[in-house]
Amino acid sequence: MSSSTNAIDEIRSGFEKSGYICSSQIATSIFLAQRLQKPLLIEGPPGVGKTELAKATAELVGKPLIRLQCYEGLDEAKALYEWKYGKQLLYTQVLKEKLGDLMTGAHGLKESMARLHDFDDTFFSEEFLEPRPLLKALWQPGGAVLLIDEIDKSDDEFEAFLLELLADYQISVPELGTIKARTTPIVFLTSNNTREIGDALKRRCLHLYIPFPEAALEKKIIAARVPEASEKLREQLVSFVQGLRELDLKKKPAVSETIDWARTLVLLHAEDLGVDMVRETLNVLLKFQDDIENVDGELNALTSKAQAAAE
Amino acid sequence: MSDVLGDFIRALRASDVRVSTSETIDAGDVIQLVGYDDRQVLKDALGQVLAKSEEEKTSFDETFDRYFAFDQFKNQKAANGNADTEAEGGDGEGDAESGQQESDQQGQSGQSGEGQQGEGGPSSGGGSGGATEAGEGAATERDLVALLERGDQTELQMALAEGAREAQLNNIRLFTQRGLYTRRIMEAMGLDGLNEEIDRRQANGNEAGAENLREARDGLREQVRDYVEKQLEIFTANAGRQLREEVLSQVRLTNVDRSDIKIIRQLVRKMAKKLVALHSRRRKVTQRGVLDVRRTIRANIEFDGLLFHTIWKKKKVDRPKVMAICDVSGSVAQVSRFLLMFLYSMQEVLPDVRSFAFSGRLGEVTDLFKTEDIEMAMATALQEHGGGSTDYGKAFEDFTDLALDDIDHRTTILILGDARSNYGDPRSDLLHKVHERARRVIWLNPEGRSMWNSGDSEMRRLQPYCDKAVTCASLKELERVVSEILRHAS
Repeated sequence: MSSSTNAIDEIRSGFEKSGYICSSQIATSIFLAQRLQKPLLIEGPPGVGKTELAKATAELVGKPLIRLQCYEGLDEAKALYEWKYGKQLLYTQVLKEKLGDLMTGAHGLKESMARLHDFDDTFFSEEFLEPRPLLKALWQPGGAVLLIDEIDKSDDEFEAFLLELLADYQISVPELGTIKARTTPIVFLTSNNTREIGDALKRRCLHLYIPFPEAALEKKIIAARVPEASEKLREQLVSFVQGLRELDLKKKPAVSETIDWARTLVLLHAEDLGVDMVRETLNVLLKFQDDIENVDGELNALTSKAQAAAE
Repeated sequence: MSDVLGDFIRALRASDVRVSTSETIDAGDVIQLVGYDDRQVLKDALGQVLAKSEEEKTSFDETFDRYFAFDQFKNQKAANGNADTEAEGGDGEGDAESGQQESDQQGQSGQSGEGQQGEGGPSSGGGSGGATEAGEGAATERDLVALLERGDQTELQMALAEGAREAQLNNIRLFTQRGLYTRRIMEAMGLDGLNEEIDRRQANGNEAGAENLREARDGLREQVRDYVEKQLEIFTANAGRQLREEVLSQVRLTNVDRSDIKIIRQLVRKMAKKLVALHSRRRKVTQRGVLDVRRTIRANIEFDGLLFHTIWKKKKVDRPKVMAICDVSGSVAQVSRFLLMFLYSMQEVLPDVRSFAFSGRLGEVTDLFKTEDIEMAMATALQEHGGGSTDYGKAFEDFTDLALDDIDHRTTILILGDARSNYGDPRSDLLHKVHERARRVIWLNPEGRSMWNSGDSEMRRLQPYCDKAVTCASLKELERVVSEILRHAS
């Protein structure tokens, strides 16, 4: 048993304490991200806990989570920094008033200019900088967990602009120069694969693919998240959902849907999975009418299979 | 960087996983961090550094399992690679790895730890100076006899891996090279000395001793051959396919063998992906007229709020609209199939593709290709619109009825066909009309230029209304055409 295996197990049990059940692969990725100080790009179908992983990590390491939700048209003014225009305008006003005092007794233009140059220029300085999530993460004194959510929704330009941050944990403000991270943050990027992420970005990141969980893992997740559900019900519903995922669906139910469903069933005081119960609550699992209709014929078979699995 | 890792990455590249230099360095860091002792952790960790998409992950898993098949043998090889870096006085990385490895090794056999050092030393020395090599060669020869007599498998395998390294087995590419490499490795291990020893014993009347050695030699040869075959499998897993792909992308699509269609489909998908990546960077054009107030004020603060510089809002340009008219009769059908496949594989950059199929009459097949699998769609299209003699006149009539109103200055019209209208009127007047409305009309002809205008080919009458008419018979040519449509997008 080497130290790295120990550390990975520790991360895993740490997650479990905070209710995030993960595979050893996920724990390994967190271990690597921490040790190699590299950003972690997480891909996978929606609802498998990509964002949740970042939250759990923030809790585990006890650092604040700073989240940046990406969308089309997101630019650096919203992601990185913005100048405080109002204050800057006020500053110029004040400067103008003070200018008179400064220039008294100066002979000629040359001397005036010299005095002006001596004057401290704070127009572009950190005081007038309004930090946005990325800059905030770099400035956080004790370090932070930075979550750049759904990077695939942003534009290509934004992706390119992230490269400097991801590679060196620094950013360039043209008027000020580069700003380095005070403490290297742990960076997560998530993607739903609506478009292909550029190679340059991928190269700078560790890459973790989270698939739908296996039955055993999913049972553990349900046990942790919905402890009210009886063990029998848990077995049944997980086996049902696993069976459902094998069908050809527009959108397969993810872990988040399984959790929702388990909560629904608990709320309805279900002890046992019945076909009618399943039919009535199926809209919690499947989000397309087409899917619900397609599955209808299979419900009996799936339910009885789930019941058999729990025996 | 250790040899094991280097070889592993070559094996990965051979199976279509793209690994950059910086990722290789990362992989080195990862190995230093997690070591070789927990296989699953090593696999997970390397996978996250080296394979960066779902398909790559699958290839990675396969290659990893094949390469780090943790029989005793591979373990030896791993140890050996590390010993080399250490002997070369390399970086601290090598030390840490082999340190861990050695303790692992000692668990297996008491002696191998020392054997490893002994083997690693001379080989790296031999690399630096040719003169010393002969002397060391003699040493290994004597060793081989001793090794065989001792019959210690672990040590033998160590020597074998070392010999393989010297013979540069990782350059093996063809299965016909198996014999060559087997002999080279045997020689590197000291075959000559062994043969001499056998002769000497024979001459001295030590018949039994000679026979023993001879048997051991044959056994060793067997082992070396096995080893070479395994390595061949690792390093050339994909080489055959790569070669085939290269050939297939240039061969005329009409001549493609049925059995190759699957590969071609994958190839099309790959090429389309490349094009998508190349062109997905959206171009921006400045549109005068809408002022970006916020940014204008921001830019003019230094002028005390006086608006010197105006900044205008930018608007993205739409993707081109493409209408593809495909002849689905006879030999042209094959090319049509791949053109449509190409176009539909690029939804991301070509979201607006409408397709029409014809031979006698023309019909729209856009929805068919969007919803069905390409093979199914093609079969249905052929059934609905194929058959009957080709008539370009009728086809253009149907096309203008169906779609003329939707053609605008952003529409690119692709026509794929051999222009053989069975001596019917091709209705070039209709194509003229289309040409006037559309941004561009491109004619793709699967026949070579020399065949145009021969027999019932009507290229002569249709070509004046095309902005471009090109031969398009192979995948490479298809790729060029599609790429060009995208290049003129804005």
